[in-house]
Amino acid sequence: MSRARSRALRVSLRLSTVLATAVLAGAALAGPDHRLPFGEPAKAKQATRTVTITMRDNEFEPDKVTVKAGEIVRFVVVNKGELLHEFSIGTAAMHAEHQAEMAMLMEHGVLTPTSFISDPSKIDHSKMGGMSMDEMMKHDHPNSVLVEPGKTAELVWKFSKATELEFACNVPGHYEAGMVGKITFAK
Amino acid sequence: MDSIEGSDAARLGLAACAAVLPALTLVEPVRAAETGHLHLFHALQVEQLEQRIRNGANAVAWEAHAWIGTDDHKAWLETKGEKPNGERPEQAEFQLLYSRRISDYFDGRVGIRYDVAPSPDRGFAVLSLHGLAPYWFEVDASAFLSDEGELSARISAEYELLITQQLILQPSAEVDLAAQSVRERGIGSGLGAVELGLRLRYELVRKVAPYVGILWERKFGDTADLAREEGEDADDLSFLVGIRFFL
Amino acid sequence: MTGRGFTFSRRRALQLAGAAGIAGTFSIHPGRRSFATAAREYELEITAGRITVDGISSKAIMMGGSVPAPTLRWREGEEVVIHATNRLDVPTSIHWHGLLLEGVMDGAPGFNGFVAIRPGETYTYRFKLRQSGTYWYHSHSAMQEQQGMYGAIVIEPAGREPVKADRDYVVVLSDHTQEDPRRVLGNLKIDPGYYNYQKRTLVDFFRDVSREGFWNALTDRLHWAEMRMDPTDLADVTGYTFLVNGRGPKDNWTALFEPGQRVRLRFINASAMTFFDVRIPGLPMTVVAADGQNVQPIRVDEFRFGVGETYDVVVLPREDKAFTIFAEPIDRSGYARATLAPRAGMEGPIPERRPRTILSMADMGMDHGESGHGGAADHGAAHAGHHGAGMDHGAAGHGASTPVGRPRRPFGWADAATPPGMKALAYADLRAATRNPDDREPTHEIEVRLTGIMERYMWSLNGRPFGKEEPIRVRYGDRVRIKFVNTTMMAHPMHLHGMFVELENGQGDRKPRKHVVVVPPGRTVSVVLTANEPGEWPFHCHLLYHMEAGMMTRFVVEPKLA
Repeated sequence: MSRARSRALRVSLRLSTVLATAVLAGAALAGPDHRLPFGEPAKAKQATRTVTITMRDNEFEPDKVTVKAGEIVRFVVVNKGELLHEFSIGTAAMHAEHQAEMAMLMEHGVLTPTSFISDPSKIDHSKMGGMSMDEMMKHDHPNSVLVEPGKTAELVWKFSKATELEFACNVPGHYEAGMVGKITFAK
Repeated sequence: MDSIEGSDAARLGLAACAAVLPALTLVEPVRAAETGHLHLFHALQVEQLEQRIRNGANAVAWEAHAWIGTDDHKAWLETKGEKPNGERPEQAEFQLLYSRRISDYFDGRVGIRYDVAPSPDRGFAVLSLHGLAPYWFEVDASAFLSDEGELSARISAEYELLITQQLILQPSAEVDLAAQSVRERGIGSGLGAVELGLRLRYELVRKVAPYVGILWERKFGDTADLAREEGEDADDLSFLVGIRFFL
Repeated sequence: MTGRGFTFSRRRALQLAGAAGIAGTFSIHPGRRSFATAAREYELEITAGRITVDGISSKAIMMGGSVPAPTLRWREGEEVVIHATNRLDVPTSIHWHGLLLEGVMDGAPGFNGFVAIRPGETYTYRFKLRQSGTYWYHSHSAMQEQQGMYGAIVIEPAGREPVKADRDYVVVLSDHTQEDPRRVLGNLKIDPGYYNYQKRTLVDFFRDVSREGFWNALTDRLHWAEMRMDPTDLADVTGYTFLVNGRGPKDNWTALFEPGQRVRLRFINASAMTFFDVRIPGLPMTVVAADGQNVQPIRVDEFRFGVGETYDVVVLPREDKAFTIFAEPIDRSGYARATLAPRAGMEGPIPERRPRTILSMADMGMDHGESGHGGAADHGAAHAGHHGAGMDHGAAGHGASTPVGRPRRPFGWADAATPPGMKALAYADLRAATRNPDDREPTHEIEVRLTGIMERYMWSLNGRPFGKEEPIRVRYGDRVRIKFVNTTMMAHPMHLHGMFVELENGQGDRKPRKHVVVVPPGRTVSVVLTANEPGEWPFHCHLLYHMEAGMMTRFVVEPKLA
C-alpha cells in the first residue's frame, strides 16, 4: 500500500507544479493557507484515528463516517474501481461548485475517466479553450485527493467545527450516481 | 353493338387478366399471416365530383378510383365522366386494371376500359404507365386499343402546390390523341383535345376537401371540326365547384 | 402493482415442493408444458378495454389490465414464469425487449418456433434472468403494441447496484392515437404525407426568399423536388397524444421527491413512431444506463430518445419546487409532460417549445463526409458543450455562429435546437461502465442497408421487405461487425432481438451495449457483436409502421457444429 500511496502523492506533487495545486493537492500541501471554515489538513502523525474508505464505480464503502469536533482523522482511500475517483470533504454546496471545476478539467483533458495527466506536455492545449494556466491554478483544494484505479491515497483532516459535511467524488457524474457519503459529528 | 370474333376473345382474355392477376396478390398476405403482418391495402378516392358551370350547358363531372392490393400488385377500378344537367352522360368510362410496380415511382398497368358514353359503347384494351415524375408531377400515360381496332392515347399530369397546409392549388393537364378518326364518337385523328384545369381546394380534413376551379378545354383538328358540326364550340371554359374525398 | 387480470405470487420452490411433496408442480397448457418451480410466477391477461387520456376515452389493448402494463420488478438470477392468457379475439404475443433468453421465449411469432398465442389460450413464458437493468415488454403481433400493449421491466442486479437512488421511477413515454393503427398504415400507403401538416408551403417559400434570396430558395426547392423528397418528413404519423406512464399532458403524471434526494428515472421509449428530445428544465440529468446497461455517468441537459431505447438518469432536485419532465417529438407536433414535485398537485412551468428542424442534404446521404464509425456521434447535438462553469464555450459544435439569445433555425435531423451552453447526449458520449468482454476483432462485416421508398411507404432492409427477406446468417461464437448504411431520409432505431450489440462510437474497449441503435438519416453506423445466442432472431426497425411495412429480417445464429 505504501508504494502505491507514495506514487499517488508523487504524481500529485508533480502535477501540482504544473497546475499549482489544482484539485490534487491533498495532505502534502497542508498549511495555514489551506484552512477551511470547518477544518484543515493535518499531518499523518497527528491523527488519532485511521478510517479506510473503499472506492468502487461509483460508490464509497462505508458511506457514513462519524467524527468529533476537533478530531484529526487519517483517511486511507483505496480505489478498487476501474475509474478515477476523488475523495473530497466539504459541504454539499462546495461539492456542487467543485463538480463544475472538475467537469472543466475533464473537458480540457487534464482529467480522463481513468487518470489525471501528470505530464504537462500531454495535456491537450487545444482543449483549453483560451483558458490560461493561471485560471486553472485557482483550483486549490486541500480537502480533496484524486485516486487512480488500483491506487491508494490518504488525506488527513482536522475537523475543527461541527458542520453538515459530505465526502464525495466530484469526477463528473459520480456524485450524481451516488458516490457520496455523510460525515456526522458525534455529540 | 357489333364486334368481330377476334376482339371478343381479346376482351375475354383481358378481363380474365384483370381479374386473376390481382387475385394472385392475395397469396402474399397469406404468407405474412404467420408473423401477423398486414400486407393488403385498399383505397377509394373520389378525386373530382364537380359541377361544371359554362355558357348554357352546365354539367356534373366525376373522376374516381379504387384499388386493392399489395405494394407490388394492385387491382384498380377507375371511372370518369361528364353528364350535362338533364341529359344523358356525354362521357362515362370505366377501367379495370392490374397494376404492377415497375420502379420506385412508377407502376405499369394493363386491363380493360369500357365506355358506356359516348354512344356507341366501346371496349378497350389498356396499357398504362402511372406514377410520380421528378419535381412531384403525378403522371399517367395510357394507350387504348378498342374492340374496333382503334388506337388512342391519353396523357395527363397534375401537380399540387401548397399555399398553406390546407389550401392547395392543383394545376392539371390532359392531352387526348388518336391514330384514326371515329366519327360516331366525335373523335378525329391526331391531337384531339387538351384540357387544362386549376383547382383550389381546402382540406377540411385530409380526406374531405371542397374546391373551386376553372377548366379550359380545347379541341383540335378533326375533333374540333366534328364538334363544330355538332354545333359545339371547339373551346370551352368552365367554372368548377366540387368536392374531393377519400374513404 | 395490482390491476385487473394481474396477479403475482411469490412462491419459493422449496416451500412449494414441501407442500406438494414433489420437486415441482406440473402444469399443462395447450400444446405446451412447463415445470412451475420458479421463485416468481405471474398471471398476465391480455384484454381489450378502454383507457382515458386527458379525459378522453379510447380503445386499448392491455396486459394486466392497464396501460402501460404493470411494471415487472425482478432480480437478476431469478427464474420467472409468466402465464400469458389471450382474452382478445385475435392472436397475440409478448416479447421481452432487451432480455437475453432462449429463442422460443423471446415471443416473436414466426421466429424461433414461437407461435402466436391464440384467443383463449395461455402460453407460459419461463426464463432465467441473466442481466439487470431497465427493459420492457410489448406485443410482437401486428398493430397491438401501439394500442397499449407495453410495460416496463426493472431487474435489480444480483450484486451491487452501482447507482444509489432514494427514489426510483419508471417513465414510459409513448404516443397514443384514437385512430385504428390499420387505418393509419392504410392512410400512409395511400399518401405517405397524409399526417404531415408541416410541409413546406408557398408561404414558407416567400419567407425563405426574404431570408435567403429568391434563387437560393428556389434552388433548394428544386433539389428536393427533383428527388421527390420532402425535407419536412421528420415523422410519418401525427395526431398523437404523447403519454408519460399512460397519462396525457393534462393528466400530468407526477413523481414525488424530497429536496436533496437522489431520484432515478428509468426512461423507456415505448412509442410506435416517435423520437423524443427529453429534458427537465432546471435539472441536469446524469445518464447512468443506456438500454439497461450501465454506462459511465454522463451529465447532460437533454437527450434524443429513439423508439425502443431506454435511458436511466439520476437527478438531484435540491429545491423545494416542481420540475417538468418534458419530451418533445422531433417534429414538434406536441409534447409529453410529467412533473417531479415535492408534493402531489404541484406543477412546474411548461417550457417554451423548441423549433422544428428541417432535413438537410446531408440527411439525404448527399454528404458522406461525416459517416464512418463515428457516424453516430452527431446523434443528438454534436459537441459536448460544457455547462455550469460560467464559461462561454458551450456553443461549440452547434450553432456556433449564432449570437446567443437569438432564435436559431435548426438544420439537419440531429439538430434539436439545443441552446448554447446546454449539453445534449451524443452516442459518442456513451461509455460502458465495464470493459467489453470480447476483445476480438470482428472476423467479418455485414452490411445492412436501410432502404425504403417513401412515396409508397415501403420499407425494407437491403432492398428486401420482410417476407422476401434474405436472412443474415452468422455462426455461433462469431465476432461480427454490422454496418448500417441508412439510404433513407428518416432515422431508424434498429433493434436486434436476443443479443446486445456494441456500438462503435469511439469508446475503445468500453463500447456501450445496446439493443436499439438509432441510425440517423443518410448516415452509417457500425456495431460489433459476439453471436453467442443461437436462434433465429428478429432484426428490425422499431418504428412500428416501418416494421409493419417490411423493415425486418431474420438474424440467424447457427448453432455450433458438434
